[in-house]
Amino acid sequence: MNIRVHGLAFTRPGFVLSVPDLEFAGGRLTALVGPNGAGKTTLLKCLAGLLPVSRRTIFMGERDLAAIPDGERARLLAFVPQEHAAAFNYAVREFLLLGRAPYVSLFSMPSPGDAARAEETLAFVGLSGRGGRAYQQMSSGERRLVLIARALVQDAGILVLDEPTTFLDPKHETSVLDLARRLVDERGKTVLVTLHNLDMAVRYADDLVCLKDGTVAAHGAPGAILTEPLLESMYEIPMRILHHEGRTFIVR
Amino acid sequence: MAAKKSLLPALIYSSPFLLFVISLYLGTYRIPLSGLFKTLLSPLVPAWKAALPEGYAAIVFGVRLPRLILALTVGAALSVSGAALQALFKNPLVNEYILGLSSGAGFGASLSLVFLGPAFPPQVSAFLFAIVAVLLVLSISSRSESPIVSLLLTGVIVSAFFTALLSLVEFFASPYSLQALFNWLMGNLARPGWKDLAVSLPFVLGGVAVLILLRWRLNVLSLSDEEARSLGVNLRREKFLVIALATLITAAATAVAGIIGWIGLIVPHLVRMITGADNRRVVPLSAALGASFLLLADDIARSLASFEVPVGIFTSIIGIPLFILLLRKSTKVWL
Repeated sequence: MNIRVHGLAFTRPGFVLSVPDLEFAGGRLTALVGPNGAGKTTLLKCLAGLLPVSRRTIFMGERDLAAIPDGERARLLAFVPQEHAAAFNYAVREFLLLGRAPYVSLFSMPSPGDAARAEETLAFVGLSGRGGRAYQQMSSGERRLVLIARALVQDAGILVLDEPTTFLDPKHETSVLDLARRLVDERGKTVLVTLHNLDMAVRYADDLVCLKDGTVAAHGAPGAILTEPLLESMYEIPMRILHHEGRTFIVR
Repeated sequence: MAAKKSLLPALIYSSPFLLFVISLYLGTYRIPLSGLFKTLLSPLVPAWKAALPEGYAAIVFGVRLPRLILALTVGAALSVSGAALQALFKNPLVNEYILGLSSGAGFGASLSLVFLGPAFPPQVSAFLFAIVAVLLVLSISSRSESPIVSLLLTGVIVSAFFTALLSLVEFFASPYSLQALFNWLMGNLARPGWKDLAVSLPFVLGGVAVLILLRWRLNVLSLSDEEARSLGVNLRREKFLVIALATLITAAATAVAGIIGWIGLIVPHLVRMITGADNRRVVPLSAALGASFLLLADDIARSLASFEVPVGIFTSIIGIPLFILLLRKSTKVWL
């Protein structure tokens, strides 16, 4: 399912996000990049329905996001937060099961089918056998995978990941982005992700959305839009784009 | 390990029944077990009724049974509302009185006892002011940007306000009504009878049952507000529902039994240590353990000396050291 943004304006003290027109194609991995404070996370949270947006500014397929009830939105779109600050130390299995919340009515329990869905997803992200572990006792890399798995358990067509690789070592950064790629390639999901590592963005994303000061500076396939002047105007430091053995590297 | 894990919850679930039988037996007037059994069934078996000594029915039905039922239900109510509010506020140190409920109830009871006299039941006013205090807290904090922090802060402020009002009433009170007030404030399960039970029981049982039904949803609500919303939770509606239920059962229990502290904090905590954080197990186990905990505390309070020690004092004296012990044993991470 594609997402269309039309005339979105979000204001908070000292910051304005303004996106006149933007479309995220379905079944692709789009990375949102840009300097700190450019509005990546704000845009992502607007798209995820977590910040209040005006009617008829964001459309999921043909439907107006502002008019979709919370429970139904959670079946269309899953949000992966950067961190889960846990007050209670749930077992991974219990934690994943929370992803079934949009399907379980207020006064009932998840079914064995829901539990099986969680178990299957745990295997998909490469953590089978860890269901009994306490969430807090997992490494931060594993926790990111569990958070993504919980969103996957939500069975939504669109997954929105907020800085899923921040603070991760290269190995775990790779495994998180490999997983994001597999969601698109193997499960046909639409994945939106904010990233800081431009090399990884170029390597993993089908499309880039470059943000600067609350506006979209460029949007398209990385190879088509990334230029040194664009990067320099975004980050305000000298940057070079190098090509080596078929891959693109961005150095500063 | 697996056997131990399934054994403890089974033990907790059966403990209220076991303690019920033991507590029914305890008392200054000794009734043999067979006599107790026959008295309990005597409304169904008229032949036994005639054969029993005269005092048995009065003691069992008039004194012990209402008291035991009160202890069991109040213990369950305080523990379940504690567990529910801890999940909702994402903080295992929250207790059922955090919303200013106990000081509201205390002030309400004092107004009634001092100005309407001991003949008028203080429960009505206690219940009303408990609700008023919570409504006050909710309405003041609802305008804030970070609702949880402001809710807890407002709870403290409103509590302080009602405590001040309570002191003002105490200042004007006669020694006689002051005595009655102290007795109520410290929590006492001896005074209430069937009439009080008939009023509080429907609220308590109904509210506990609904919170038990909501137990998995409490897991979802224990996530950050942002996460809960991204999982499709209608936060406003569901938070209101849980707070309303917890307030209702705590207010009903407090109005009848007085202020009984620490149970709502310790019992869910103990349960989480035994069974983990999943509210599907924590909420019903808290109901069972809370019921047993208060019944046991009341048994000790009434059999320790020749006079009644208010049970609220006892739950605090047992509760606080126990809680310190739990704090030391638990790792950095909250279970």
